Amino acid sequence: MATVQVSEAEKVYILHGIRDDLRADGRGCEDYRHMEIETDVVSNTDGSARVTLGHTAVLVGIKAEIGKPRPLVPNEGYLEFFVDCSANATPEFEGRGGEELGIELSNMLYKVFNKHCLDLRSLCISEGEHCWLLYVDVLLLQCDGNLYDAISVAVKAALFNTKIPRVHISADEDGGKEIELSDDPYDCMRVDVENVPCIVTLCKIGHRHVVDATLQEKACSVASVLVSVTHSGSVTCTRKVGGGSLDPESIFEMIEAGKRVGKSLHAPLMKLLQQEESLGKRRQKVGFLG
Amino acid sequence: ILTKTQLHFSRRIMTKKLNQKFAVKINTGKTRREFIGSIWQRRNHREFTHVLHLVYLVFVGIMLKSKTFVKKTRSGGVIKVVREHYLRDDIWCGSEACSECKQDSTVLQTDASIESSLCSYPHYLLPDSNVVLHQIDVLEHPVIQNVIILQTVVQEVRHRSAPVYKRLKDILHEKEKHFYTFTNEHRRETFVEREPGESANDRNDRAIRVAAKWYSQHLNTAETQAEGLKVVLLTNDQGNKQKAEEGGLLVFKCEEYIKSLIANPELVDLLALSNDDKNEITSSKVLYPEHLPLSRVQAGIKSGSYLQGTFRASRDNYLEATVFVQGEGDTSTEVILQGLQHLNRAVHQDVVAVQLLPREQWVAPSSVVMQDEGAGKDDGVEEDEEEKVSSRKPTGKVVGIIKRNWRPFCGMLNVSQIKESTRHLFTPADRRIPRIRVETRQSSTLAGQRIMVAIDGWPKDSRYPNGHFVRSLGGAGEKDTEEEVLLLEHDVPHQAFSQAVLSFLPQMPWVITPEDMKQREDLRSLTVCSVDPPGCTDIDDALHCRELENGNLEVGVHIADVSHFIRPGNALDKEAANRGTTVYLCGKRIDMVPELLSSNLCSLRSNVERLAFSCIWEMNNKAEILKTRFTKSVINSKASLTYAEAQMRIDDTSLNDDVTKSLRGLNKLAKIFKRKRIEKGALTLSSLEVRFHIDSETHDPIELQTKELLETNSMVEEFMLLANISVAQKIYDEFSECALLRKHPAPPLSNYDILFKAAKSKNVEIHTDSAKALADSLDVARVDGFPYFNTLLRILATRCMMQAVYFCSGMDSDFHHYGLASPIYTHFTSPIRRYADIIVHRLLAVAIGADSTYPDLMDKHKQSVLCNNLNYRHKMSQYAQRASVAFHTQLFFKNRGILNEEGYVLFVRKNAIIVLIPKFGLEGTVFFDSKDKAAPCVVFDEEGPTLTVEQHTFHIFDKVKVTISLDASNIQHQKIRMSLVHPVIPGVSVPASDAEPQAKKLKVDR
Repeated sequence: MATVQVSEAEKVYILHGIRDDLRADGRGCEDYRHMEIETDVVSNTDGSARVTLGHTAVLVGIKAEIGKPRPLVPNEGYLEFFVDCSANATPEFEGRGGEELGIELSNMLYKVFNKHCLDLRSLCISEGEHCWLLYVDVLLLQCDGNLYDAISVAVKAALFNTKIPRVHISADEDGGKEIELSDDPYDCMRVDVENVPCIVTLCKIGHRHVVDATLQEKACSVASVLVSVTHSGSVTCTRKVGGGSLDPESIFEMIEAGKRVGKSLHAPLMKLLQQEESLGKRRQKVGFLG
Repeated sequence: ILTKTQLHFSRRIMTKKLNQKFAVKINTGKTRREFIGSIWQRRNHREFTHVLHLVYLVFVGIMLKSKTFVKKTRSGGVIKVVREHYLRDDIWCGSEACSECKQDSTVLQTDASIESSLCSYPHYLLPDSNVVLHQIDVLEHPVIQNVIILQTVVQEVRHRSAPVYKRLKDILHEKEKHFYTFTNEHRRETFVEREPGESANDRNDRAIRVAAKWYSQHLNTAETQAEGLKVVLLTNDQGNKQKAEEGGLLVFKCEEYIKSLIANPELVDLLALSNDDKNEITSSKVLYPEHLPLSRVQAGIKSGSYLQGTFRASRDNYLEATVFVQGEGDTSTEVILQGLQHLNRAVHQDVVAVQLLPREQWVAPSSVVMQDEGAGKDDGVEEDEEEKVSSRKPTGKVVGIIKRNWRPFCGMLNVSQIKESTRHLFTPADRRIPRIRVETRQSSTLAGQRIMVAIDGWPKDSRYPNGHFVRSLGGAGEKDTEEEVLLLEHDVPHQAFSQAVLSFLPQMPWVITPEDMKQREDLRSLTVCSVDPPGCTDIDDALHCRELENGNLEVGVHIADVSHFIRPGNALDKEAANRGTTVYLCGKRIDMVPELLSSNLCSLRSNVERLAFSCIWEMNNKAEILKTRFTKSVINSKASLTYAEAQMRIDDTSLNDDVTKSLRGLNKLAKIFKRKRIEKGALTLSSLEVRFHIDSETHDPIELQTKELLETNSMVEEFMLLANISVAQKIYDEFSECALLRKHPAPPLSNYDILFKAAKSKNVEIHTDSAKALADSLDVARVDGFPYFNTLLRILATRCMMQAVYFCSGMDSDFHHYGLASPIYTHFTSPIRRYADIIVHRLLAVAIGADSTYPDLMDKHKQSVLCNNLNYRHKMSQYAQRASVAFHTQLFFKNRGILNEEGYVLFVRKNAIIVLIPKFGLEGTVFFDSKDKAAPCVVFDEEGPTLTVEQHTFHIFDKVKVTISLDASNIQHQKIRMSLVHPVIPGVSVPASDAEPQAKKLKVDR
C-alpha cells in the first residue's frame, strides 16, 4: 500500500487535531474530502465512471459479455472484478508491485458486491445456458488514501451508468435457441443500483476515528474498519484491516459512525448521478482534463 | 511550428489521450494482464504517433466523433464496437456552378438540363438507396446525368447487393455520366446521429433528406452562375417523400420523374416494378405457398428438418427440377421437385431450402419433355401409377429461398395477342428459366429482337415472375446480336474495360527505362523469333536456339512479362482475375487484359524491344537438359512468323539465315522431345477444329476448313510443354503449399466403355490400363481400306477424357497430368490470355528473387478460390467458343441451302445416330422418330451398340450420306438438321437431290 513518511512532530499535530475534531485540512472527523464523479467517460465500455477523492483518482469500466451461468446458481449472472494498480498512481506499483494490493482490493469487492445488493437474476438470459457477466475493471490512477471508498463509489456510479444491450431469445419449434440482438442501440437494459452499498473506511487515530483518511492520517492509524452500507443504512459487510487491535466498544462505535456516514453519502450520490443522466447529450464532457 | 500555447494544449490532450488509452486497454478483457502498470514506461511508439495525429486533427479543425454500435460475434457473444468518425468542412459539393467550394475538379455540370415535364429548370438528381438498388437499369441509361450519389446510399447499396454495387461503382467512374459521390457522412453539416427509437433505415432516410436540404441551400447561397439550379430527391418511399415535402424539398417518386422525361419514353420500360404496381397486375388467386422467413429457414437447416441446395431447373420439363444438396464431405444428394407448387417460384441457380416429402410421395424423374405452353394447361403432374418403386428418388418441396441468383436474362418477347396491350410475356433463351411478365410500350419494335429482361420479383399470386425490360441486343439471328447473346448466356465478362481498370495501364509512349534494364538480363542480341497462327496479335511466346562454344545447344523460351504491367491487387489485376481467360470466338476476341497490353506492350512483336520472362536451358544434341535457369529479360524478336512461314523456312534448303538455323535447331530438338514424351505414354488425341474464312466486308463465313497441323505447330507446343513443366517443378520446389498447378486426372475405366465397344466392332483391341497402353493401342489401331478410322478412334478417346483443372498444390495431393504423362504441370506460357499464367509468373518471380511477394499469393485458400473461378471461366469460354462455332456453322449453311455430304456414324443412340462430317468438322443428329410421321420400327442394342431401323442396322463408324440444312423454325434455337440419304431406308431416308424446296422440308421436320 502506498505510504508516506511522517515525522513524530507531524504525527502529534495530526493526533491532537483529531482529538479536537479538527483535521489538518480543516475537515471534521466524519467529513469526506471534495469528491468528483463523472460517468460515461470510456466510450467502448458498457458503463464507466471516474471518481476523484482529494488526490485519489479511480477509473472504473464495466464490460458486459454473454457467458454461461455458474452451475450452482443457473438463474443468475455474475460479476468479475479486476483491480489494476497502474504505475501512474505511484512508482511502487511498477512491475508486479501493485499486484498484491490489486488482489486484496478485488477480493474485497467480490465480498461487498454480491447478490444481496444486486438483482443478479435480471442478468440471466436463459436459465442454465446464457447470462450476462459483468467485467468490472478498476484502474487506480492516483493514490492519496481511502482507496476502498473511492472505488466503491466509482463502481456504484459505473453500474448506474451501465447499459446492457437488450437481447431476445428466439426459439423455434424444435427447441433450438438463438440470441437475437436489438437493432436499436438505444434499446438497452439498466442495472438496478438502489441497494448497491458504499464502503466507508474508518481509521482509528488516537481515541477517535475518522472517515476518508489521507495518507498522512493513515500513517498515524494502527487499524481501521471497513463498513459497507446500503442507502437504508443496513450494513452488508464489515472488515478490519491494519496491524493494531481494536477494543469491542470502539468497533461498535465505528460501525455506528460508518452507518451514519454511509447513509448520508448515498443520497447526494444518487441525486448527482440522476442529474447527470438527465442532461443526456447536452452534458459537457470533462474527462481527464478536469 | 507550434506556438507555446498550442504546445501546452497539445500536451494536455496527449495526457488525456494516453489516459484514455489505458482505459481502452484495461477494458479489452483479454489483454488486461499484459498492461499492468507498465505502459507509461513503454510509451508505445504507435500510440504516440496516434496521439500526435489527433493533435494535428484538432489544429486543422477536424472534429472527431465516435460511432458506437453493438454486434453479435460468430461465437455468440455480443461486443460493443466504437469507431472514430471524422467530421470535416472541406468536403466539396462537386458542382461546376459552385464557387464557394475549393475543389480541384468538378463533376456535376452547370447546365444540367434534361427535358422533363415536371422540372423545367436545370437540376441534379439525388436518388435514395432503394431507387439505386431497384432502378439501377434506369440510372445506367446514358440520358440520366448529373446525379449526386450520397455516401449513405453507396454504403447501403454495398451492404445489400454486391452486383448493384459494382454497377454503381462503374457508373461513378464513367466521366460522361457526371455522377458525383458526396461523402455526406463526413461533412459536418450533413452528418446525422441516430436518435433514440429511430431505426437504421429511418436514420439513413433522414441523412439523405438532410444532405438534399444542404445541397439545395448550398447551391442557392453560393454565387451560382446558373440561375435556379435545384436538387431533386428521388424516392419510392411514401413516408420519406412526405417528410421531405414537409421539409420543403423537391421530391418525386422515381416513376413519376422518369415518366416526365418526355423526350425519352424508352426509359419507362427500364423501370422495375414496385410493389404496388405488381399487385394490380396479378389476379387475387394465390398460386404458391408463402416462403418461410430466412431466420426460420436457417434454424430448420441447422436442425436438419430442411436441406439447403442449389436449384437446377430441368431443361426438358418445366414442372421438374432437382436440388443438389451438398452433404458432409463429398457426399451429395439430389432431391427431385415436381409441380409448380413444390417448385414454389424458385428460379434456376437460386439457393433454396427444401423439405423432404414423406417416402410414399416420392417419385421418379419423368422422362417426358414438357414445354411451358401457357397458363391454360393443367399444371398438375400426372401420377404414373405403374412407376417402378425402385426408381423413385428423394422428393421434396421448396419452403424458402436463401439466395436469389437472378441475373438479366436474354430472350425474346412473345407479343400479346391483344393489341395496345403493354403487358407481354418474355421467353428466355435458356429453357431452364421461366417465362417472365414484362410491361413495355415498345412491343412492336421489340418483337423479333433479342432483348434482356431482369426479374423484379415473384409474388405468390402470380404464375410468372414480374420483370422489366433492360435493353435490346438487336435483331434475332443477326451476327452481332447472337454473339452478344452467347457471351451473356455463358457469363463471359465482355464489357469495355472501366476507367478504373484503364487507369492502371502504363503511360504512352512507353519505353524501357534504365532501371528496368538494370534488373533484367539483356537478351536483345539473341536471334529470337515467334511462331503463331496467322492473324495473331497477342503473341505471348518467342523462342531461340543457338549453339554454344562447348558444342551444346542453348534453347530459350521467352514469355511476355505481363506480371510486370499487372501489379497485384489493383483494379486491372482484379478485372483480369475475374475474366480469367481471353475468349476466342470466330472472328472476335474478348480480351482478358486491355488491348494496349494484349496487342502492344506485352505482345512480343518483331523488331521492338519487349520485356520477357525467359526460361533458358542448356542441352546436348540428344536433347538432354543439362542446365535450367529462369530470368527476367529484355528481348528483341527478329521475326514473327506463322506456322506455315516457319515450316517453309525450315524446308527451304536455300535459306541459311540465323532465324532459319535457329528454327531448324528447335525443330530437331522438338522431334526428340516429342518422341521421348510419347515413349513415356503421352496421348496424342484428336478433335476436329474448323476455321472459317470470313468475308472481310460482310463478316459472314464464306468457307469452312478444318485446321491443318504442321510440324512447326508441334515444335512450338513441345517447347511450351517443356517450359511449363520446368516452371511447375521450380515453383513447387519453392512453394510446396501454394504453387498453382494444373492436373489432368485419369478417367474412370467406365468412361472407356464406348471406346471399347466401338473398337471391338471393327475387331480392334484397346487397352486402357495406363495412358501408355492406351497410346500404344491407339497407334496400332488400323483397319484396311478405312484410313479415317484411326482419327475417328482418337476423337472418341478424347470424349472419354476428364477435364484438366487448375488447383493449388497445398490443397490436393494428386498432381498427375494424365494426357501429357507428366508428374507435374502448370501454365506459364500464355500470360496475355490466361490469368493462371500471371499467378505462375508471380510465383516464379518470387522464387528467383526478381519480384516481391504479397499475402494473397501465399494464401492457399484464397488461391483455391481463384482456381475455382479460373476453372469456371475456362469451361465457360470453351462452351462459348463451341457455341460461336455452331452459330457460324449455321450461318454458313444458311447461305448454302441443302447440301449432301458423306459422314461417319460416331455414336448410336436409342432413337438417333450422331454423324460426323469430316469435311466441316460438324456433328449432327439424325432422328428416326418424328412427331407427325409414323415412327419406323427401331431396335436399339446396347451391347453393340447398334441401332436397327426397319431392316438396316447402324454400327459405329458406318459411312453414311446425309443432307444438311438449317432448321430455323425456332428462331431462338436454330440448329443444323441432318437427314439420311444413304443407306436408303424406305419411309426414313430422304432423296438426295437438293431440288426439294426448303420450306416443305422444314414443315416435315416440325
